[in-house]
Amino acid sequence: MERFAFLGRFARNRGALAGTVIILLVAFAALSAPVFFPTDPLRMVAQPELWPGEDPAFPLGTDSLGRDMLAMLVHGARATLLIGLFASAVATLIGVSVGAAAGYFGGWIDETAMRAVELFQTIPNLIFVLTIVVILGSTLHNIVIAIGIVSWTPIARMTRAEFLALRDREFVQACRSMGMGDFGIIVREILPNALPPVIVLSSLVVAGAILFESAVSFLGLGDPNIASWGRLVGDGRELIRSSWYICAIPGVAIMVTVLCLNLIGDGLNDALNPKLRDR
Amino acid sequence: MASTSGSSRRNAALRLLKRRLLQAIPLMLGVVVINFVLIHLAPGSFLELMTAENQVSDPATVELLRKTYGLDDPVWLQLVKYIWALMHLDFGFSYRQNMPVLDAIWVGLPATLLLMISSITLAFVIGVAAGVVASAKVRTVWDTAVSVAAMFFFAAPSFWLGIMMIVLFAVKLGWLPVSGMETIGGGGGVLDILHHLILPTLALGLFYAATYARVMRSSMLEVAQLDFVRTARAKGLSRRRVTLSHVLRNALLPVVTILGVQMGTILAGSVVIESVFSWPGVGSLLFDSVSSRNYPVVLGIMVLGSLVVIAANIAVDLIYMWLDPRIEIR
Amino acid sequence: MAAVPLEVSDLRTTLFTRRGEMKAVDGLSLSVGAGETVALVGESGCGKSLSALSIMRLLPDPPARIVGGAVKLNGRDIVPLSEESMLDIRGKEIGMIFQDPMSALNPVATIEKQIAEVVMAHTGLGRFQARARAHELLEQVGIPDAARRLDAYPHQLSGGMCQRVVIAMAIACSPSVLIADEPTTALDVTVQAQVLTLLKRLQAEAGMAMIFITHDLGVVAETADRVVVMYAGRKVEEAAVDDLFEAPLHPYTAGLIGATPVPGAVRAERLADIPGMVPPLNALPPGCAFAPRCPRAMDRCRTERPALTEPRPGRRVACFAAEKGPT
Repeated sequence: MERFAFLGRFARNRGALAGTVIILLVAFAALSAPVFFPTDPLRMVAQPELWPGEDPAFPLGTDSLGRDMLAMLVHGARATLLIGLFASAVATLIGVSVGAAAGYFGGWIDETAMRAVELFQTIPNLIFVLTIVVILGSTLHNIVIAIGIVSWTPIARMTRAEFLALRDREFVQACRSMGMGDFGIIVREILPNALPPVIVLSSLVVAGAILFESAVSFLGLGDPNIASWGRLVGDGRELIRSSWYICAIPGVAIMVTVLCLNLIGDGLNDALNPKLRDR
Repeated sequence: MASTSGSSRRNAALRLLKRRLLQAIPLMLGVVVINFVLIHLAPGSFLELMTAENQVSDPATVELLRKTYGLDDPVWLQLVKYIWALMHLDFGFSYRQNMPVLDAIWVGLPATLLLMISSITLAFVIGVAAGVVASAKVRTVWDTAVSVAAMFFFAAPSFWLGIMMIVLFAVKLGWLPVSGMETIGGGGGVLDILHHLILPTLALGLFYAATYARVMRSSMLEVAQLDFVRTARAKGLSRRRVTLSHVLRNALLPVVTILGVQMGTILAGSVVIESVFSWPGVGSLLFDSVSSRNYPVVLGIMVLGSLVVIAANIAVDLIYMWLDPRIEIR
Repeated sequence: MAAVPLEVSDLRTTLFTRRGEMKAVDGLSLSVGAGETVALVGESGCGKSLSALSIMRLLPDPPARIVGGAVKLNGRDIVPLSEESMLDIRGKEIGMIFQDPMSALNPVATIEKQIAEVVMAHTGLGRFQARARAHELLEQVGIPDAARRLDAYPHQLSGGMCQRVVIAMAIACSPSVLIADEPTTALDVTVQAQVLTLLKRLQAEAGMAMIFITHDLGVVAETADRVVVMYAGRKVEEAAVDDLFEAPLHPYTAGLIGATPVPGAVRAERLADIPGMVPPLNALPPGCAFAPRCPRAMDRCRTERPALTEPRPGRRVACFAAEKGPT
């Protein structure tokens, strides 16, 4: 019942609904890329710098090396979405662990955890990501981990706040008096109750991670085997005088995807706090 | 009963300053340790990388490097030595630039700080103004326009926004320079720099302006519901007066908090924008050092960058304290 | 003859909400003479505060709007006035005091600024003179060490002190009408008495007409000359304060008096409670709104709404049972 009410509230939010539909379309395009564009997207297929619409076979034109923009865009969606999702997962894992421990145990654990949060807010995050990626190597999973490492602090703060609010509630005390261990209480009793707002935040972290990844790739430090959207923008920047569409198109793709993820996050947030909607 | 004279608030501010500076010490230690350890995680020996990347082959120089970096010592001793050196403002020597690391960073730091400060100022002014307008005209075309604009700028990657603005304002319209900080030859005046500053500032600042506009709008609406707003209206003050002299200051508090949290992000973001606009800041030095694995410089940039963030955070704390007299220092 | 400071006639305020229109104030009439205190009494949700905000023209719009009636301030009806004209009236001709003094003051502005602001808005005084006036007002409302308190912030003062500041702001321009909306409810008992004494003294000095809103009949007995009892947006009884306590006509009034321990009152020892709750405004019964909770309700009460009658001059009641005989 509660779940249906939640979905109903979410679906009534037009922005969130539109965002979900578009993200599903992007995800579908990403998944079906090998079907529609089975050849390597980084292969030259036509004359370079064809403007969008100039040749119907290449609706989004070709880049400076004569590669099909549409094919690259669709294949790039895979990389961009995957990195966003996994980096957010890493951030959520770290953030929830740190936040849960801090909020549940309090004391010096809390103090240490909050100092760590402060520390990671102090380090200029993108510079840190670049350093990690260069030192450990520009591979997909290093990028994912690096972005996760700089994105966990808001999740830790929120998880901690939720745990602080929940840890002294009756049901938790009941479990404690029944002799349930700390780990069991954290994972089985408190976490499920603390999770909804954390999930909302995670969806926003996906958006942030996509922006991070695009910046890393734009700067040319991404995985050289993957043409993510950020790298496409970076590849096109030398040609902005003649063919600015090469930069514009993948950038629009990033913006639309991030925009939709933000809309979904806002929609989830509103659906979680129905009180705020009536204002 | 707290005393309320100006001098007591000044004392409170000094106490805050002292506490924040004390807290900064372990924070800086953390920054140094994390980055130091990270660099030592690098595959291959530090020395091999350094010598290979910097094309040093002369055995005497290699030996000198080994000595100066104390590379025969255990890692923890190297860390202690590095920290000891840092405390004496010795960030090491960069063979690539052939100058001390600190000097190399010092060259670009003013440009980076200029970009950072102008972006924060722009973001704050535009964001707050847009949020106030949207909340004053809530559920009108104005409100929608602000929300939509905020939504877009909140989602647009800053580097892409920068490139698109170069295309429109520099290439197509020719109003503003494409890149750099000064006109080559004959440039250098304050106006010239400001002229070059416009696009990078917009590219970096608009994302944060969008953030602040959203926060400011909801904060204004929330504060407008509070009792003291009704009291002010009962005194015969106009809606506008009440908004400007009572609601605004209270509503600014959450925006200032967020500003503090985002300092590190803004500094890092300026590095990307510097690359887009060939802005002569620390950014290019960072890329060069990162890709040539010139670790002393990378570490130095991290340490100095964190120092800038900490200083900015202290400034934000003082502003917050000035805005909200309820903040008492323990 | 000078006009009555405040004369409200047939005031109607409606809340326009998604769930329909609710008559929050339904045909309220009352007048307050110079130096007189009229208490507006009833449980929470009966329309007292909305009546006060209607008189101030400070209703949250949407959803609330005045749909009829007149509020005559010194003879002039202010209901049709523009918002701009109201700016010259609020704080100058009518002052208002609120329930929670801590939240009624801006936490980030000094006491001086908040008092000087109202002074400067309605007089030609400059910053410097306004500060002097603020100082004078703080002394007038009995704040010790006033000079130092001028630069204080609200959180540095106690609740009682804050309420004195709010009072100082309300009387700063010597208004002819003062509306006090539960001014002592949020305060400690000892402080309550001090604030009441202060209000009575200030009223006597300036000859202000005062509307005193409260649900505490003990306070009514101490401060009011006349009492208007409201229920579900309507006036159900009006009487001089002594008459009311001696012989309440409306069963609701009787219930309220029974529910309040009044020193010296007949039923002081009986702490009766009125059963049930104020009905929601969008689900009022067709007859008398109080009928479902009324111990004396008759069949007629459930179908027909009793009109306000005047059994004696200055004594009004809207109740069929009261028409038949005393409580």
